[in-house]
Amino acid sequence: MVQTTVLKLDGVSKSFAKVEKDDITHALENINMEAGSGEFISLVGTSGCGKSTILRLIAGLITPTTGQVAVNGTEVLGPDPDRGMVFQKPTLFPWLTVEKNLSFSLRMKNKLQGNEDKVARMLNVIGLEDFKDDYPGQLSGGMAQRVALARSLINEPDILLLDEPLGALDAFTRMNMQDEILSIWREKKQLVIMVTHDVDEAIYMGSKVIVMEPHPGRIRAQIPIEMEYPRNRSSAQFVEYRNSILEMLNYGVHE
Amino acid sequence: MKTASLSPAPKASRKLTRDQLLELEQKEKTSAQKLADTAITLLPVVSGLAAMLEYALLPNAFANPRPATYFVFLLILFCLYTGALGVGLVQLTKGNKHLMQRLRHKAPLYTLLFLLLLVYDFLTLKTAILLQPFLPCVNSIFNIAWDDREYLIISALYSLRLLFFGYFIGVITGLVTGIACGYSPKVRYWVDPVIKFLGPIPSSTWIPIMMVLVSGHFFGASVFIIALGVWFAVTVASMTGISNVDKEYFEAAKTLGASEQQLVFRVAIPHAMPSILQGMTQGMSTACTALMIAEMMGVEAGLGWYITWAKAWASYNKMFAALIVICLLFTAVTKVLNMVKKRVLRWQIGVVK
Repeated sequence: MVQTTVLKLDGVSKSFAKVEKDDITHALENINMEAGSGEFISLVGTSGCGKSTILRLIAGLITPTTGQVAVNGTEVLGPDPDRGMVFQKPTLFPWLTVEKNLSFSLRMKNKLQGNEDKVARMLNVIGLEDFKDDYPGQLSGGMAQRVALARSLINEPDILLLDEPLGALDAFTRMNMQDEILSIWREKKQLVIMVTHDVDEAIYMGSKVIVMEPHPGRIRAQIPIEMEYPRNRSSAQFVEYRNSILEMLNYGVHE
Repeated sequence: MKTASLSPAPKASRKLTRDQLLELEQKEKTSAQKLADTAITLLPVVSGLAAMLEYALLPNAFANPRPATYFVFLLILFCLYTGALGVGLVQLTKGNKHLMQRLRHKAPLYTLLFLLLLVYDFLTLKTAILLQPFLPCVNSIFNIAWDDREYLIISALYSLRLLFFGYFIGVITGLVTGIACGYSPKVRYWVDPVIKFLGPIPSSTWIPIMMVLVSGHFFGASVFIIALGVWFAVTVASMTGISNVDKEYFEAAKTLGASEQQLVFRVAIPHAMPSILQGMTQGMSTACTALMIAEMMGVEAGLGWYITWAKAWASYNKMFAALIVICLLFTAVTKVLNMVKKRVLRWQIGVVK
């Protein structure tokens, strides 16, 4: 990797105004973290601990209340295809065919001409060439999520943000896609940040697991996972990581 | 295919056509059902023959000049059906059941049509049970339509001109305000009260008021009235359509690099298209109503005017002739609109079941 990307969150906090009462929810408080190309960061934590909020801050969909999110020293002010995001729902545009969904970002930037081969290559990577003229309504959940992933990857983003992308898939599809995402990451060496509820998934995929605790959302621990890929889910080391993370999460709840 | 793994389906099942699939999944019909199917498919032929014989053989209750017109009309309908039946039979021998199934499906309707024509003819021309001359027999309607064709065509063209002027102005302004309102809360702030207070007034209510206000320019006034109704329907539909777009689609589009303008034109509008088209269909029906009322009340041209004019001269068969033309015209307009809808919303096939 020639150029490296550095993402920095500096004292970031985010509060939301409640809809009904004149009150405020503190979603995140004083988040400091730094990450760079080639890292795969899994964010785990109970619901309401602000995992997704962190991703949306990095994506530039929302702005921090205090603090700063910066990529390579430049403050993040809005969304950019360099920071691709995949959501829990595939959010494919139902009025566009699979192919048109894939080329959406290229078309938005008027860069489709000369890049048609990119679209074809992406179709090939996700193995859906036969479905390129189908509409998303005709795809299964797994297929749709692959298209969503490919749609973000077509921009070759420096940072890939995954907001529980596998949360709605069945167990088998989920495991297949975990491996697919890993192989894409190991080839391209982007910075991947993935939110998940599943501790096993976090350990299986992440080079580092960040454990968060709620009310307000804080980082509890950053645990580098020192295991070779592909990882064995039943190895002693894996189980040890799992136990310590689960303990941390329970501990956070009891306190 | 629930999982993402793509094991290729066996060749045979891939080659299956939609019809073959349906057939495979359907229950085998009993021979009694098959017999009933054949009988029902033949019913229009029988009722068509009956209608023709009734007209040709029974004595008339009053004079019926140029009697051939209606007979030819019946004959054409009859020949169309039997012709289709013939083609269907030929296709059936080649293993293509499609046309035959369609005919079987439509046969009861066609039978009813022939029977209604038969009964109406019996009650008017043959027995004069229905009060004459207020309900003229079909033959005289056709004859008068042919004699007066020039007037009818010109009237139809005038109606269409007024309809389309009003409709398109209404659709375009409706789209602009609806989309602006749906997307921008500021625009909505100003337009919402207008819609709330003026919207519920049926657009035809404005006609007398407009007649007083612009007595000289009645064409313009009618365009305005038709457009007003359409504008309302399209505005409301596109506004709801756009404000119902899932936030997630906007977020996804933003992270894919869409600009503010692209969010409107590439995400919001396509997403709202089903709703917009529904508004356009609804707008067309209000436009047709307003058109007829406008023409009957003040515009001195068009089919609505033709009907009131014919009534003034007590030529009831002309009224019915105009009615038939109106029916054909509006059916055609609706059909075109539906074709546009089907084409634009083809992505919905398989989504909405």
